[in-house]
Amino acid sequence: MEMFEYTFMINALMAGSIIAVLASMFGMFVVVKRYAMLSDTLAHVSLLGVAIGFLLNISTIYSAIIVALGVSLVIEYIRNYKAVYSDSILAIFLSSSLALAIVIVSVSNSFNSSLFDYLFGSIVAVSREDIVSILLFAALSLIFMGNNYQKMLLISFDEDLAYSSGIRVRFLNIMFVSLVAIMIGLSIKIIGALLIGALMIIPVSAAILFKQGFFITWVIALSMAVFSVITGLTLSFYVALPSGATIVLLTLILFCLSYLYKKLI
Amino acid sequence: MVELKNVSYKTILCDISLSIDEGDYVAIIGPNGGGKSTLLKLILKRLKKDKGDISLFSTPQEHFKAYNKIGYVAQNSVQIDTNFPATVEEIILTGLAYKRSFFTKITNNELQYMQHLMHTFDILEIKNRPIGDLSGGQRQRVMITRALLNQPKLLILDEPNAGIDEESQKRFYTLLNTLNKIEQLTIVFVTHDLGRLKEDVNKVFHINKVLC
Repeated sequence: MEMFEYTFMINALMAGSIIAVLASMFGMFVVVKRYAMLSDTLAHVSLLGVAIGFLLNISTIYSAIIVALGVSLVIEYIRNYKAVYSDSILAIFLSSSLALAIVIVSVSNSFNSSLFDYLFGSIVAVSREDIVSILLFAALSLIFMGNNYQKMLLISFDEDLAYSSGIRVRFLNIMFVSLVAIMIGLSIKIIGALLIGALMIIPVSAAILFKQGFFITWVIALSMAVFSVITGLTLSFYVALPSGATIVLLTLILFCLSYLYKKLI
Repeated sequence: MVELKNVSYKTILCDISLSIDEGDYVAIIGPNGGGKSTLLKLILKRLKKDKGDISLFSTPQEHFKAYNKIGYVAQNSVQIDTNFPATVEEIILTGLAYKRSFFTKITNNELQYMQHLMHTFDILEIKNRPIGDLSGGQRQRVMITRALLNQPKLLILDEPNAGIDEESQKRFYTLLNTLNKIEQLTIVFVTHDLGRLKEDVNKVFHINKVLC
């Protein structure tokens, strides 16, 4: 196939597929914990990190990861304090980080096409170094989630039950939101800050409609996410469509088909 | 096994002292909002007492780590999220979550014990069904199986009969009585109505914050 003759397409397919695996894995727990807005909030926070990166003229990926990681820990701390509703905390951080990003961008006069790429993703933006970073992070994430799968499942099912079983719920929640923050920081270059949340949430929501067990649901969500990424990137190459938006629209089509299947069967 | 000495929490519990011994079948009764669930949360360290001493298995609560010795069925265990994507077997296996990792897989003995429990509680045939598709009585039996999988020494049930039909309740009481009398399991049952339970228990504690 013609697209495999281009290194940037091979890089995008590799990075996109790994991100799809991670997004569906983290998305499973985010969705069942009724914490779906977390992904969107951290994506907007990452954008603030990108703006800071532009302002300070440092690596935007690392600045996005550091800011998202820092804010994710603050969110988890406030959530645990239980003085503010979880969704309100997320809404506060989502709007304020976006506002701050816009102020920084306008003050530093750094609104350019690069920032646009971070909003909607760009397949040509993936370098070999990005793939190495994503691969290393994926390996760490899979080890963490594999090691704590049962505990995370119980926390998602009933946090009180997890506490009373002697599980370190707070530590695992902090680790979890940190990993989600890093994944979003790493992904916004390819999928886009405005679209990464959808890749985490829509395939999982579609998979849940099939009423299977937790692991099988994840496998279904993962298949949908990987299919959407590969098909979306292929379409964006041959039909000249924006990659991130095409991927998200494909996940939406899969969600609609799953919903119809559920209604008809 | 469980000892509370002059335990107080806000204005809900004042100077509570009680002792639960091995093999006891205890009912904690009292009106709704009387502090029964608060008492359990203090024992399970979900709330921090204002004063007094709590010891579990002869260890001061501050140093107690072996929560695997305690099986717990929460008050809202029947009213779960019906869309939660997990099978009965997956939920039961979370009973071993505290010790599961890459390096500690489930053993054959644990699997056999799980089969035995599922058979005892008549849920073996529904082990692959989504937890959200079960009736209240079935969910209750799943949650108690989960709590027992770890072979605890103490089973704590916080109003587990809420929303359960009469027939399932009768069956549930019979099973608990067998666990206490035959398996020597210590049971703490929280309820606002002693009802049929009074024939089985050997201790009753009445908790009412009005007395505070």
